[in-house]
Amino acid sequence: MRPDLLVIGAGLAGLSAALRATQAGLRVRIIAKGLGTLHWSTGNLDLLGYLPGAPHPVRKPMEAIYTLPESHPYARLGPERIGHCLSWWQKALGAAGLAYRPATPARSNWLLPSPAGAVRPTYLATEAQAGGDLSQAEPMLIVGFQGMRDFYPHLIAENLTRQGYAARAATLSLAVITRRQDSNTLHLAQELERPGRVQELAAALRPLVRPGERVGLPAILGLERHQAIWQGLATALDAPVFEIPTLPPSVPGIRLHRALTRHLEAQGVQIQVGLTAIGFQADRGRILAVETESSARPWRHQAEGFLLATGGILGGGFNSDPQGRFWEVVFNLPLTVPQDRNAWFRPHFLAPEGHPVFRGGLAVDGCFRPVDGHGTPLYQNLWAAGNLLAHVDAIQERSVEGLAVITGMAAAEALLA
Amino acid sequence: MHSISWHSVDHSLDECIKCNICTSYCPVSAVTDRFPGPKYVGPQAQRFRSPHQPHSPDDSVDYCSGCRVCNEVCPTGVKIAEINARARAQIVAERGLPLRNRLLGRNELLGKLGSLAPAAANLALHNPLSRLLAEKTLGIARHAPLPTWSTRGTFGDWLRRTAHRRLRSEKKVVYFHGCATMYYEPFIGQAAVAVLEHQGYEVIVPPQNCCGLPLLSNGEFPAAERYHQGNVARLAGFARAGLPIVGTSTSCTLTLKEEAPELLDREDEGTAALRQATWDIFEWLRALHEQGELRTDFQPIPSSGASLVLPYHAPCQLRAHRVGKPALEILALIPGLDLRESHARCCGIAGTYGYKTEKYQIAMDVGQELFDFVQAQGEAVPYSACDSETCRWQLEHGTGLPSRHPIEVLAAAYGLYDLEQRRLVREAQS
Repeated sequence: MRPDLLVIGAGLAGLSAALRATQAGLRVRIIAKGLGTLHWSTGNLDLLGYLPGAPHPVRKPMEAIYTLPESHPYARLGPERIGHCLSWWQKALGAAGLAYRPATPARSNWLLPSPAGAVRPTYLATEAQAGGDLSQAEPMLIVGFQGMRDFYPHLIAENLTRQGYAARAATLSLAVITRRQDSNTLHLAQELERPGRVQELAAALRPLVRPGERVGLPAILGLERHQAIWQGLATALDAPVFEIPTLPPSVPGIRLHRALTRHLEAQGVQIQVGLTAIGFQADRGRILAVETESSARPWRHQAEGFLLATGGILGGGFNSDPQGRFWEVVFNLPLTVPQDRNAWFRPHFLAPEGHPVFRGGLAVDGCFRPVDGHGTPLYQNLWAAGNLLAHVDAIQERSVEGLAVITGMAAAEALLA
Repeated sequence: MHSISWHSVDHSLDECIKCNICTSYCPVSAVTDRFPGPKYVGPQAQRFRSPHQPHSPDDSVDYCSGCRVCNEVCPTGVKIAEINARARAQIVAERGLPLRNRLLGRNELLGKLGSLAPAAANLALHNPLSRLLAEKTLGIARHAPLPTWSTRGTFGDWLRRTAHRRLRSEKKVVYFHGCATMYYEPFIGQAAVAVLEHQGYEVIVPPQNCCGLPLLSNGEFPAAERYHQGNVARLAGFARAGLPIVGTSTSCTLTLKEEAPELLDREDEGTAALRQATWDIFEWLRALHEQGELRTDFQPIPSSGASLVLPYHAPCQLRAHRVGKPALEILALIPGLDLRESHARCCGIAGTYGYKTEKYQIAMDVGQELFDFVQAQGEAVPYSACDSETCRWQLEHGTGLPSRHPIEVLAAAYGLYDLEQRRLVREAQS
């Protein structure tokens, strides 16, 4: 019953670390407070989209890594190791049933339309989103649905047009997909899996599409049968079809979450959510157990090793209070946050350099073990990965998924060594 | 260390970041427009509820089944299901409660009455005409899987009849049977007693009340409070004496541990003592196993094939304990048992929810995911397994396949219990 490795956190970092460790033969268990932030993700893998303060997206992220400060997790691993992690991950996801595509030319970023019609750099794109490639000249027809929340095709088309991309918008009735009054993106994706629904959608779309156009739809093209629905729609329309990610719940992110969790569970990994860590036991520099809150008494989870992947401030790995205290929630590890609360933020909310507080986090050694102020590991059997690491502002950089996957895998490899 | 545990229901709503994960996973809003989803009805509507307000902003809260899947998946720890339960109680306090919900909340009373003449009661209730009448007059769905009263006597009758055979030991454990074991399924209690005695424990079964959950989930808080106080008076003494109190009904144990104290705002010493001593029976057996004290003298369970294929569903009410899936871990020790773990969210019944005419179809639609999973395990599967009684009845109703409590499976693996006939081997022989 006692696992070799207990992963705390079921987001992309924790799942990727578990995947790597499981394939190396470790018995892994995952516990998490709730489902991870993949439900808010585009489902693509953003590697490095913007450098601090730079107005334009990064075109060649592997080259841009050389310009990052040497404390940055990417700079410490180097492009070669990062490239190795990404190809391993891409292959593993392929085996789990999700195909990812790199951009051309090799080792460059895709530029894809965002749900606001902005240009969004990403490194590995889902097949269905790759069709929105803005380096291609084919004009786009962006289609939305009357009554669908948070997806406005005219806004997207107008913003794209202003930036020089050929796009126009159209709106269909939501009744094409569902008879229900109130649906979120996930419900719509599931409705499209019903027999015949794709053909009905194709019939409604057909009169709108002009020859030579590609059709951009909100990312609701199926959940389990996504591949068949996406391709079936393109065939029925005789036009390329692509998805644009939506606000949460994000169906491509959910597809990624499902593919990873099922793949892990099929290999015997238990994933338990709804568990909040409230304490731990340690002895002579080793973690013995983590305790989670339950309905009556703490529940102890013993393991040989522990990997912390609880996320940053958004994922819940840190917390803060109005007094300016900032803490790591499971092991109360030291964080590299400016001591003076006034130094946390820059004056402008959307400052292109990002805010200093978001670069704060957990400092680790070369083996991804959390360290004290002198660089000495705090525990011999504790590793950390993902958005809780210091010296990186993943949201500002657009590196959320890349950071999670690469550091998750690298931490797993470090603990296997 | 920041303590997040057991923060109050009301304050937890400020943790909501509107991420929609709860609505994505809610099994009810996935199948009906009558429930817009936990985020809207829970933390969002809660901002518009106050004790002095004449009307609730959202009557659809009545369509929350209370399965707690939202709590489980919430990444920030909002107690959505409890917010909804309190909102429903507020509506009940203002507008009163239909007779049907009063009846369904009184499991203990119904159990007692039917057990006076169980065969007659079963006949009176379980015929198409009375079920049609109950649907038309009360609103209890005619096809809903209502239980049948035990015709082999209650669990209490069995305890009295077999008192001389009980094991006496220094090691003692208290058993909380709940109403379903007492009046409908005494064999669950028999299997539990047999397993606990097999570990060398003397089993004490003190007088006890309904845990109060059916009343809580129907919004009748004052009546639930009386039951809860009764249990504290009868059981807290055992807790103070350091005895564990184990239960086979996951919803009863959850109520003793958490639902009653939290929803009723009870912070007295007796409530706390009872809470801390209460265990799901497999949670307790797992702790025993971790100390190396669980007996593992298992024998293969008789089956038609090489191994017994057993689809297991951890009910929502067990997952809400936040103790993992202890039955799955213990049953995995049994040789020749091919366990298949369900990842379905909910069977749909949610206590008394699926009994109600207007909710019956919703409950069946919710359960489809689980029924499909069970049926996908093949033709040769003799049973499904689930820790919760109402879920087992719903599973049987939805799949046509008998369902068993994991404690029955464990007792059978010890050679103490006949899984098919649902009786102790020793009693079948005598």
